[in-house]
Amino acid sequence: MKSERVKTEFSTVPSGRGGKKNLASGSILIFSFFLLTFYLVPSLAQTQSAPRGVIRLKVKFKSGDLTRELPRKRFFLIKGSLEDNKSLIEKLKQSAVLSRECYYRGKGASEGLIKWLTENDCDSIYCREIEEKYLSGIEAVPEFRAAYNLGLREFKSADLARRWLTVNVPADLRDGFYSEKQLAITSLIPQTGPSISVMTDRKGTAYLTDLEPGTYTISNLVGSETGKTSIIWACEREVKAVDLAIAMRRPLTLSNEKDAKVKCEIIERPLPVCNK
Amino acid sequence: MGNVRSKPKGTQRCSQSAQRGILCVPSRRPARSLRLRFFVISLILVFGVVAASTQTRRRQPGRKPSPQASKGSATQYSDFLHATEKHKALTCNACHKVPTGWTAQRDFPDVADFPNHDACVRCHRQQFFTRQSFVGTGPAICTVCHVRAAPREAGRFAFGNPNRAGQPTKAKDRRQFTIEFPHDKHQNVIASGRWGSGSQTAVSFIRASFSEPADDGQKRPEYNNCTICHQRNDALIIAPLSGVPDAATAQANKFFKTMPQAHDSCFNCHWKNQKPAGDDCSGCHKPAATFEATPAPKRISAMFSHEGGKGEHVSECTTCHINITRASTLRGLTPDVPIAACVTCHKDNKKTTYPKITTIEEELAQFKKTSSCTYCHQSDVGTKKPPASHEAAAQ
Repeated sequence: MKSERVKTEFSTVPSGRGGKKNLASGSILIFSFFLLTFYLVPSLAQTQSAPRGVIRLKVKFKSGDLTRELPRKRFFLIKGSLEDNKSLIEKLKQSAVLSRECYYRGKGASEGLIKWLTENDCDSIYCREIEEKYLSGIEAVPEFRAAYNLGLREFKSADLARRWLTVNVPADLRDGFYSEKQLAITSLIPQTGPSISVMTDRKGTAYLTDLEPGTYTISNLVGSETGKTSIIWACEREVKAVDLAIAMRRPLTLSNEKDAKVKCEIIERPLPVCNK
Repeated sequence: MGNVRSKPKGTQRCSQSAQRGILCVPSRRPARSLRLRFFVISLILVFGVVAASTQTRRRQPGRKPSPQASKGSATQYSDFLHATEKHKALTCNACHKVPTGWTAQRDFPDVADFPNHDACVRCHRQQFFTRQSFVGTGPAICTVCHVRAAPREAGRFAFGNPNRAGQPTKAKDRRQFTIEFPHDKHQNVIASGRWGSGSQTAVSFIRASFSEPADDGQKRPEYNNCTICHQRNDALIIAPLSGVPDAATAQANKFFKTMPQAHDSCFNCHWKNQKPAGDDCSGCHKPAATFEATPAPKRISAMFSHEGGKGEHVSECTTCHINITRASTLRGLTPDVPIAACVTCHKDNKKTTYPKITTIEEELAQFKKTSSCTYCHQSDVGTKKPPASHEAAAQ
């Protein structure tokens, strides 16, 4: 009798409309369950992606008494510690010193062109506008003048011949040095996948963002000319999941001076004397 | 007794509870079937919605069926499609001559005009000359290049940029190619650093822009070589941000920099010899589904100006666009600026160097009072709680 009463009370509801409500809420529950399964769970999984890390790179070098930042040089991020990349470090140590001056002299470039490139630390002739003064007069660069004259004949416009001057400069002198550097880099980069690279700004700063936490080696792979020497850095950094704002306060400083806090292989060699 | 037995169970209970004055569910079996029905309907609904959404996700933007799709229709030839099997089988220079006669339209050698009639007529004689093709407004195929489909109509739409001859342009800037551009490689070859003396200010950069700098006598900061391709944009008119005072919207046009829009920016190095050379169209132009080009990305909330207005932004481009040197392609390239980059200057400790600078600390303090950040954001974003990245940047 008691059990029947309980059963009865359970099956009853205060009103008929309420009964429908109960049914509706039941189906809403089911509906919500499916909605959660199909939509929210995958989308949550997407938003809760693994936390990423950041490296703020700061590169400087000491030359004589002066410390300078290293502007406009590309640095590569390679997975693994220095120990893991031992063979790469060995290759870097054995690599030939690439000297801009020696390259261009070897290709028969004029003194004027070498001076023009050195003035702005340019690897190729693409890095600055070629102004009128380099086409005639005392500052004229013979290679530019020759290319300009070819352009003048081809385009019949002095302005166009100057603006499009580089199209008539021989490949070796145009970007041959840059291409040689790229070849060296390609042969050094481990074939484990695409590597990330960034270029330093005028203050020698660069950011490597959105990194999977782990240990990395950061290297410029080919020597950066710093006046009298060529420097290759290969430094180790453990990346932790951290906000960019925090990473900004803890830069990884690469320098040619020994720093106990940074695990680095610094390969600094004097620039070769070029045959004139 | 038999009657009682024959009564449905639910009714029995109902009568019992009715005796106690409580309303009840009249029958259990109908309730079950109702639940079942709801359950089935819910299931159908869920699967329906899921299927629909999956389809929507799969449908890529810009992959709308082309107007040329309906084979055999009269209008199918009014839009040219590079992607048809027969067109794809041709080399680019089977139709496009490099350069075309360019002196009227450009001041540099370029593919400045549509291909000659021969390029089309050799296969599409039927679309040009049959009686059917003259029904209505004339052969639709003519309007691929010509303003009107008339036998003696010489007027053509502008082909490419710049449109110096002032030719009429098509109503919609529809494109079928995207540009393959290794951004990092170009940054490498234009990289130029010049050391000064000492550790104080060390580097200056030559303005390596191929366009003439404004000759208004004003001294401008020398940015790095990004200015070869990206300069101040005075031509771009974009919709001002709504709900923003006029002073701020006046800077709206200067929010975005220019981007190369004409072959001149490429051919000045790639005309010949330097690969991909000018006649290698596919070296840069990669086939894509037809899309409509927009002059600039949509501006959302930031009231930033590269120049003037709230003060000169004198840092070099990569100080704020911290990921830009990493990009090896234009695909997915966003010149995003994290708040941490702004804080390089907009922080309280920089007040001594830049006394008038508005700092993130001030803005966060203002938010606590007014629930709105107005210096950098439009109200729709500025009234939202600052994200954790902003708080972290202020610490």
